[in-house]
Amino acid sequence: MWNLARKILLHDRIKFAVAAAGVSISVMLVLVQIGLYLGFMQNASNLIDHSKADVWVVAEGSENFDFSGPIDERAVYKVLSTPGVARVERMLLAFGQYRNADGGQQGVQVVGIEPGATMLAPWSLVGGDAARIHEPGKISVDVTEFAKLGIDQVGARREISGARAEVVALTRGIRSFTTSPFVFTNLDTARAYTNFPADKMTFVLVEAEPGVSPETLAERLSKLPNLDAYTTPTMSARARHYWSSRTGVGAGFFTTAALGVIVGLVVVGQILYNGTLEHLKEYGTLKAMGARNGAIVRVILYQAVISAVVGFVLGGGLAVASRAAMTKANLTVLLTPDLVGATAVLTVVMCCVAALLSVIKVLRLDPASVFKG
Amino acid sequence: MSNPTATPVASLAAISKTYGEGEMAVTALSDADLSIYPGEILLIEGPSGSGKTTLISILGLLLKPTTGAVFVDGRDVTALHERELPAIRARHFGFVFQGFNLFPALTALENVALAIKMKHPRAKDAELQSRRLLAAVGLETRMHHLPANLSGGQKQRVAIARALGGDPTIILGDEPTAALDTKTALGVMELLRGLATEQGRAVVVVTHDPRLERFADRVARVEDGRVVAVETMRHAA
Repeated sequence: MWNLARKILLHDRIKFAVAAAGVSISVMLVLVQIGLYLGFMQNASNLIDHSKADVWVVAEGSENFDFSGPIDERAVYKVLSTPGVARVERMLLAFGQYRNADGGQQGVQVVGIEPGATMLAPWSLVGGDAARIHEPGKISVDVTEFAKLGIDQVGARREISGARAEVVALTRGIRSFTTSPFVFTNLDTARAYTNFPADKMTFVLVEAEPGVSPETLAERLSKLPNLDAYTTPTMSARARHYWSSRTGVGAGFFTTAALGVIVGLVVVGQILYNGTLEHLKEYGTLKAMGARNGAIVRVILYQAVISAVVGFVLGGGLAVASRAAMTKANLTVLLTPDLVGATAVLTVVMCCVAALLSVIKVLRLDPASVFKG
Repeated sequence: MSNPTATPVASLAAISKTYGEGEMAVTALSDADLSIYPGEILLIEGPSGSGKTTLISILGLLLKPTTGAVFVDGRDVTALHERELPAIRARHFGFVFQGFNLFPALTALENVALAIKMKHPRAKDAELQSRRLLAAVGLETRMHHLPANLSGGQKQRVAIARALGGDPTIILGDEPTAALDTKTALGVMELLRGLATEQGRAVVVVTHDPRLERFADRVARVEDGRVVAVETMRHAA
């Protein structure tokens, strides 16, 4: 039956090509748009997701990870004295002004960490020595940001907010949502680059004592004055949610993806419906001869599934090609197995929904109509 | 040949069919009686609009009569639910149309096999059956041809093979020779004659063409919604 459905569908190759093109454009739009969204969201919580902290403590009312308010040294002691806290690390994240060799300016997000920090440190090292960032004026940068920073190797010397900055380590894949490159350094140098006073920071990273749940500890720490506390997964979700909802980026990507699905629905629906209309007498004859509606509907749905499979394979290929092109433009398109799997299911559902009009037409087809010329 | 003492494979008893209601009501058929016997060819003749299509549609269980009863293989099927009718049609009826109604994308073999699979989803030997049926209608060398590459007569033979899928006892034809030239039309009728005589199937053909009467055992004449006469042909008597 699959073979017969395929033959009926492929008989008019031009129409089938249009249907396949409709589905593949739809699939590509869904994969690329949601892949881009996931890439941006990954960047939005990149630092948090790679930390080993159980709980993040922030200034009360801080909504955005990238623009968190300052907290002072006294907060660290309050956190340390809270039951269930095993260890803390100070961390600073704030913007600095990076000066290129040609005098051009570029905003950077400076990440300051304590010497010997284990809860957050540069990862995915591809060159240099990350331990050296704890020397004054030494930084680590990401190779994907070379073009923005105007450097291409370890040892490059520049200025951040008027202070010396020498690249001593390179990473790959530590990218920010804000498009300002991350620069890792020690806490004191970070304060100098961002004009933060010596007793200020933006985060206290907390490791819970064994047996203490991060949720319980976060709840306990949130009761401290002028502080909020979140478990790492919650912190990550908040960072993503902020950028997704406040900037409209989520709505933008999903609207485009939804438009892709609508395009697919309309194109496939019209092709399948036209095909059904063209074969109405044949389907009517089969019904007259005793074929049940279910058997004929199955032939139409098989055609929908074949359109979906062909369109998905072509659209998937287009999405992979687009990802390669976008990677060159420093954009991350995350084609996760979950996304690919969900898109495959969505494509089949979309094509089956598109076949609905055809199915209704066949269900309502009066077999006696074949006697009426 | 028809045998009035044989049990009819299907019959219509006092059938009427009215479309619409009240002042808009149109009576397409009234008080029609007709029995179909195994091994006979029955022609239904009459002018356009006389009720032939309504008659054959009710006989083929595609249309419910307003009054009267329809019997198939001795069983009153008039009151059966719509859901039960496809199975009875699949078991007892094959249909042949003027326009062939073959899927243009499928070969002769595939068209016949598809019908068998649709009628009997559990049929394991649909392709083998189709080959046998196509051979029986003289198309053993044309099985893998698309309808576009077959002549009108060959297409109608494919349609007849398709109608024979599932081994029905009654073949209903709606002007099956109207689109064919005389020679081809007579060839198709000879084929139907053989199905009746050699295989004992009942063949009912709606036609305007009096040349087909020589193949018929009986001719039912329909005028103004009434079966005005059923004549036994002399050569069949």
